[in-house]
Amino acid sequence: MPQTITDIYLPRQAKVEQIEVENSQISTFVLAFCDHAYNDAFRYQPGQFMMVSMPHCGEAPISISSTPTRPGAIHLSVRRAGKLTAAMHGLRVGDTIGLRGPYGRPFPMEQLQKKDLLFVAGGIGLAPLRGVLDTCLDQRDQFGTLTVLYGSRTPSDIAFQTDLDMWREKGVDCRLTVDAAEPGWDAQVGLVTSLMDGLHPKLERSTALICGPPLMFRAVLGRLTAMGFRDEQVLTTMERHMKCGVGICRHCHMDGKLACVDGPVFSLAELRKLKIMEMED
Amino acid sequence: MPHASSMADSHLLKKDHLKGFLRKLAKEYRLVAPVRNRHGDVLFTVIDDLDAVEIELSEPPQNSLKQFFLPQQEQLSTYTITPEGYDFQPTKATIPPTVYFGVHPCDLSAVLYMDVVFSRQQRDPFYLRRRQGSVLIGINCNNPSPKCFCNATGSGPFIEMGSDLQLTDLGDRFLVETGRTSGHTLTERWQGFFSPSTDKDRAARYQAFLEARGRFSRQVHVEQAIRRLEADTVPDEVFAKLSLRCQDCGGCAYLCPTCTCFTISDQPLDAVNGQRLRSWDACTFAGFTVMAGGHNPVQAKTGAIRQRFTHKLRDDVRLTGRPSCVGCGRCVGICFGGTDIVRFVERTCQGSL
Repeated sequence: MPQTITDIYLPRQAKVEQIEVENSQISTFVLAFCDHAYNDAFRYQPGQFMMVSMPHCGEAPISISSTPTRPGAIHLSVRRAGKLTAAMHGLRVGDTIGLRGPYGRPFPMEQLQKKDLLFVAGGIGLAPLRGVLDTCLDQRDQFGTLTVLYGSRTPSDIAFQTDLDMWREKGVDCRLTVDAAEPGWDAQVGLVTSLMDGLHPKLERSTALICGPPLMFRAVLGRLTAMGFRDEQVLTTMERHMKCGVGICRHCHMDGKLACVDGPVFSLAELRKLKIMEMED
Repeated sequence: MPHASSMADSHLLKKDHLKGFLRKLAKEYRLVAPVRNRHGDVLFTVIDDLDAVEIELSEPPQNSLKQFFLPQQEQLSTYTITPEGYDFQPTKATIPPTVYFGVHPCDLSAVLYMDVVFSRQQRDPFYLRRRQGSVLIGINCNNPSPKCFCNATGSGPFIEMGSDLQLTDLGDRFLVETGRTSGHTLTERWQGFFSPSTDKDRAARYQAFLEARGRFSRQVHVEQAIRRLEADTVPDEVFAKLSLRCQDCGGCAYLCPTCTCFTISDQPLDAVNGQRLRSWDACTFAGFTVMAGGHNPVQAKTGAIRQRFTHKLRDDVRLTGRPSCVGCGRCVGICFGGTDIVRFVERTCQGSL
């Protein structure tokens, strides 16, 4: 007898409830499924992503930047990069988009409990880590110290300013740097690795979470290893082109692994076994 | 053990009775079988009128069954953009229950592999709906063609599992082995076409198997290539040299019975309507891994060629215990650059045998 099989490729309608402009290239879209019952029951974990549909633009994977501890809405922080994301930047509150997911292996939140967490991000790379950080803040007693090192191109490119202010208020050690200063900037100038000079993490209880462009990623890995972090103590989330998001189409292949189902979150120990661009010298 | 068939039950079908049996089947199922067309090409074809076609079992068809389960292009959904919003409507792919007749072991193995691909991580509704209504009638290969190497990939020339009925050509008759319950149903339902088989028939099948096994003209050391890929001892130069010769045509992937990579794209029908399509893709295409903004995390060409062969001969062996190359040789015939899997295996094994 033919069985009914869920149509895994069919997006669901979601409404833009709020738009937070982070900088000239990045906005955070607060979304809720139009089907209220579905929206109420919707669950995800930090590090997972959604496949986003925009009219006539197809789909793209976007990591969820909100925390599941605040249910009812999904945040997607999106940098203008191609046709679909450019179309997203034309969205207004009340518009609808298509969503399916959540997909992918999340950050191992249970393993992170009681740990001192070091978040290192560049540009839009803070988006997937934002969900982890807010989860930690909502379950503050379950995690150790929280440190954010965040690199941007210029002071006007600094995204997630509202979050950074709020995180500081809640006791997160947030340190910023820019590649190029502008008048009025009196803080750090240089690569995000330059923020690591003054850090003295308790190695035995630390985990680093990194997300950013490949060059930054490699530089940070080098520094973390030099500081004594073991490969198992370094987590990252990988970006790849995707079509299905569920492990079938293979566009996100990574030397035998698929970013969509084996990742997007990987430990450095796992990545070291793969022949991928990010791990090349 | 090929002679100790795991197929539980066997019958005889006289060749004179084949058309009558197929005619009965065609009344209840859509029938797909290899047919020689007016250009002389043998292709799996939907048969509307059995008397108007010539079913060709002696020569491997140029296409595989892939297109019937994963069409070259299919609609996944339609969408509308109205003042109320942007919304999707599901597409229900419906195909009639279909008998696929005359499927060679390589192509049967390929279907079994696709079953894994489309149900392992997530159940793919489009593939599975087509597959659920299918009956596979296989035929063992008595005469492997010069391009065939299924003996090296463990997917032929005879096969023990995967089909509902498995035929072996014994001259004036077929030995018919019933694999699954559905196979028994067929032989019982139309028992008038079948007669009991004897030990002599089964001995003849074994003889045919031995002869078929001796007829391969090509020796392809697939096992050796698998070991070298797993041990990571294939020199980068092998991939680099092969990639120089790849013309990015995708012919290998399109003809391959196990290449199932696809892309999904939107096709606007007008300003407010469109359809979402799934189409065959190829991991060797330059744009396969390019991300928004143009960055490509896979080294163009060399990395893509590495992916093609590593996926088939290492990753799928890890996953299923066997390579997803089924040795049909189609890519060898289509590739004008000499970048096919046989060339890869030969270069990989050079100097190591």
